[in-house]
Amino acid sequence: MDETTTGRILIDSTGSPCPGPITDLALAYRRSKVGDLLELWATDPGIRTDVRAWAAKTGNEILSISDSDGKIVVVIRIAKR
Amino acid sequence: MQKKLLIIGGGSAGTILANSLDRRDFEISVVSSSFGHLFQPALLYVAFTNVKSHIVRDERSLLPPHVNLIHDQITAVDLNEQRATSANGAVFPYDYLVIATGMRTDTSQIPGLSEINEKYGDYHSSIARAQRLWKRLDSFPGGTIALGQGSPIIKCPPSPLEGIFLTDELLRKKGLRDKSRLIFFTPFPRAYSASPMNEIVEPLLQEHGIEVLTFFDLDHIDPATNTLYSIEGDKIECDLPIVIPPFKGAEIEYLPVDVVDPDNFVITDKETLRVKGTFNAFAVGDASNLPTSKAGVGTHLQAKVVAKTLSGHPAKFDGRTSCPFDLGNGRGVFVNGSYEAPVTKARPTRTNHLMKMAFERIYWSSLRGRLDPVMDAYFALTRPRPASKEQEPASTNV
Repeated sequence: MDETTTGRILIDSTGSPCPGPITDLALAYRRSKVGDLLELWATDPGIRTDVRAWAAKTGNEILSISDSDGKIVVVIRIAKR
Repeated sequence: MQKKLLIIGGGSAGTILANSLDRRDFEISVVSSSFGHLFQPALLYVAFTNVKSHIVRDERSLLPPHVNLIHDQITAVDLNEQRATSANGAVFPYDYLVIATGMRTDTSQIPGLSEINEKYGDYHSSIARAQRLWKRLDSFPGGTIALGQGSPIIKCPPSPLEGIFLTDELLRKKGLRDKSRLIFFTPFPRAYSASPMNEIVEPLLQEHGIEVLTFFDLDHIDPATNTLYSIEGDKIECDLPIVIPPFKGAEIEYLPVDVVDPDNFVITDKETLRVKGTFNAFAVGDASNLPTSKAGVGTHLQAKVVAKTLSGHPAKFDGRTSCPFDLGNGRGVFVNGSYEAPVTKARPTRTNHLMKMAFERIYWSSLRGRLDPVMDAYFALTRPRPASKEQEPASTNV
């Protein structure tokens, strides 16, 4: 987990199969605070479904989900912690 | 000329590696904090079926005579200076290093968990804790049992579900199932984290009347009332909480400091198994941060990869796992996967259960390399197929 140049907390789960990305997100969420922006990178397509279910359950906000050459980037704002 | 090889840890990874190298090439030292080698998967059966077989052997008996076994606790590793330091102040210089420390349970991450596990036991920490859990289960009069993992990081991903299925089986045998409510909680979106295997598991959970609470990432516990609270805002009240504790890497200070992640797992190349930024240090088994399951088969294969590389035949780890998964009532399934091959649905059978039961005997021989041809044949036979590009996304971690 690193800080990106945009001030987002980067979670790089590329190459990590399911449930790697949702595991990494859950661990980052434990260390987060309200207002943090998390940027999750993943290559496992299952993360699309999982992250939507996670955000609905936890009350956090998905700002965007984009896909470029198989790399899925999810940006999340922590609204509840 | 012999190279000095230092192996930190006398668990399965360290033992397999020490048995796999040519004594003419290496002066091998294994530093272990314990001389008792535990067959870790047996803790499940100690806790849920009161198994009393000999699940600990003398580490010395598992190593060749030329391997130097040292009883000590490594507390610091300086990768730049190529030396490790122990709690007793001993210094171990090395040419090659293999970090095979395994990982440790850490109840301090969840407020209230230390009290709960001290009182009720668990099945990942120690034999004594597993025996304590058996006593609690054996005297359980009926009521609510909640079982799950305290953190997303876990040793042996099937083990939480194995625990709830074996609890269900035990209560049925005792005629207490209709007086009991079983709740399985998990931080993941589904009961089994990898989707294809979840399709096998969910109908079984329904069939057995086991309730499932997903996205329950344990935050804290009130030991006075046995109430579990999640980060997501849910709570579970129960009579017997069975909580798999969070895990962390070994308590070792590394230089440079950035070779470990926040949980002290060693940052490791997922194929070569080299520690970040090094050419002569490797991490194998539970000690690493590899994006694959922390389980025995992966550990075995990783030790073999490092042995080949050290012997001058560079090899790569493919992320392979093959987890035997006990579904209770004499049925089991093997969960196979690798970095490139997704887990696929597999049919539960009684044969798989019997194979899991036979593992303890196979294990001791496999440590010493006596079953390598058999193990190699098994891995080749059960090699998972890589996913095709067109295939529906699936999961590959087990």
